[in-house]
Amino acid sequence: MIITLNDVNKTYPGAVPLHVLKGINLEIDRGELVAIMGASGSGKSTLLNILGILDNYDTGTYTLNGTLIRDLSENRAAELRNKLIGFVFQSFNLIGYKNAVENVALPLYYQGVGRRQRNRLAMEQLERMGLADRAHHLPGELSGGQKQRVAIARSLITNPALILADEPTGALDSRTSKEVMQVFRDLNAEGMTIVIVTHDPGVAAQCKRVIRISDGLIVPDNTITAAGSTTVTTPDNA
Amino acid sequence: MLDLFREIGQTLSNNKLRTVLTGIAVAWGILMLIILVSISRGVYNSFESNTAGSSAQATINIYSGTTTKAFDGFKEGRFVRLHTRDIPHIVDSNPEMVSAVHTTISVDSAKVENIHDYTTNGLYGVFPGSLDLERCRIVAGRSINTLDNSERRRSIMLEKRNAELLFASADSAIGQTVKSLGLAWTVIGVFEHDWSRNNYVPFNTLMRLAKGGDGYVWQLTVVAPGMTDEHSGRKLEEKLRSDLAALHHFAPDDNGAVWIYNRFTNYLSNKKGLGYLDIAIWVIGVLTMLSGIVGVSNIMFVSVRERTHEIGIRRAIGAKPRSIMLQVVSESVAITTLFGYIGVVLGMLLTQIAAGLIADTPASQGIKDPTVDIGIAIKVTIVLIIAGAIAGLAPAIKATKVKPVEALRDE
Repeated sequence: MIITLNDVNKTYPGAVPLHVLKGINLEIDRGELVAIMGASGSGKSTLLNILGILDNYDTGTYTLNGTLIRDLSENRAAELRNKLIGFVFQSFNLIGYKNAVENVALPLYYQGVGRRQRNRLAMEQLERMGLADRAHHLPGELSGGQKQRVAIARSLITNPALILADEPTGALDSRTSKEVMQVFRDLNAEGMTIVIVTHDPGVAAQCKRVIRISDGLIVPDNTITAAGSTTVTTPDNA
Repeated sequence: MLDLFREIGQTLSNNKLRTVLTGIAVAWGILMLIILVSISRGVYNSFESNTAGSSAQATINIYSGTTTKAFDGFKEGRFVRLHTRDIPHIVDSNPEMVSAVHTTISVDSAKVENIHDYTTNGLYGVFPGSLDLERCRIVAGRSINTLDNSERRRSIMLEKRNAELLFASADSAIGQTVKSLGLAWTVIGVFEHDWSRNNYVPFNTLMRLAKGGDGYVWQLTVVAPGMTDEHSGRKLEEKLRSDLAALHHFAPDDNGAVWIYNRFTNYLSNKKGLGYLDIAIWVIGVLTMLSGIVGVSNIMFVSVRERTHEIGIRRAIGAKPRSIMLQVVSESVAITTLFGYIGVVLGMLLTQIAAGLIADTPASQGIKDPTVDIGIAIKVTIVLIIAGAIAGLAPAIKATKVKPVEALRDE
């Protein structure tokens, strides 16, 4: 198992404490392509933050790639994010004044990899995404689909155990969305574990498994065979 | 390290206008600091050159005064007249401290002439060695020596402009004869002086001619190489006062009877004062710079706030808080140092130009060579780096508080 969540609870403190995650149990295996779906306010984003080691949880356990993620220092969390997780965001989150290669290479900068080595590896990833000819363009000079592919290249450069994508097609048109989803499916076919948080059923349909979250709890699974060739897991109320 | 510089360069050039505007404040502050420091240097240089030569400093001048206390049967208000007879007394009673006592006599109206021309710059009777004290520079021939004085020779030293008037050049004047006070004098030397055009003759010669031998003088110059610090200087002053009190029958604690001006202790306290001036200048300069620094700090806060999202992204993809902090502090140091140096270079240029402009004008009496040296440049560098780091510290700490979750927030 690459991800194991065991009775994870999270409450946001305040005048009226908000109990957002009410005991999440979740297992994701190596090589899975999983969609996490849920309405806004369901706890979907909080779950994403915890999975991405961007936020802490209160009780329970979260094990990522064999490491217990619990009460980490900021430095240790940064290190684990850098090594284990590749992030893909809805708004791409490329740095505007850095060109494509520099953006892709940035995670390696924080590993202390030398500039030449970094840029060589970044070029490899861009080639893999079919963007070698755009390597020296600034994000502002790229289309949405290209930007997202640069972001995917960046998420891959540290050779992470897991790609965590937050609404990766949310800012793209339908056609580009399909292209990006195809990239994810191809990566998954090569063995990469990918978790996509989305509210788009079209995106979810292209994943091998859909996890629905509602009111801070995972909705129980029910495996069915979809119209496609692969086995798709959906909740019974889908 | 090189990577860090690249990162800084990228972020700074990404915001050129803001960087430049902030930088101007720093450059201006440093420019002011350099100008102030160089003025202070100039005052110091001019002080040093005006009091040049250690022999000039180890002297005490004594002037005639009026008694303020009744003493030894005399009423107060009596004029104390210094006399050439005082000289051997002072030398003999202070053998360790005093090497010589000089005085002068002048005949201001005396003509100095040859068959062609004459000057009316007067005669000035001096002791051997006095010329050093008067800061004369010999350009030809020799100075007045002990024999000239003791044998009351009619030797004369001409001021350079006078020598040129009478004999065309300084060198051709040596050995020539001039006439003054109805007598013939041999020119033994020619000297240069910053302002005076008096011609010098041996004291004893002129004293004999003017007053027939011993007589009253206005002032005594005590050469006292024995003075080593403020304490020994003050002590000698008191000793001289009491010596003269015994000779002239006034109360030893009567400060009005003779006026004593100690060039040595005065030099020491002036020097101390200039030290304080230097400190004050640095304080003012650094405070001026502070406004520039506050500007940098302010702009770094804006920059951190503006880049919250970017910092969030960097944190999400693995930047540790300390690398974010290092980046912000380095940016701040980079802005301060870069523009600080522009200020330094500008300041040095301006002060060099100013030094060139005032070099041969009366202004150079008060401010001489107002430039800063490499030592100042090093001090300024250290000040800049520290100032930049301080300016960046608070914004940097704020930057480390940015949570990686910020990356997920849409702008």
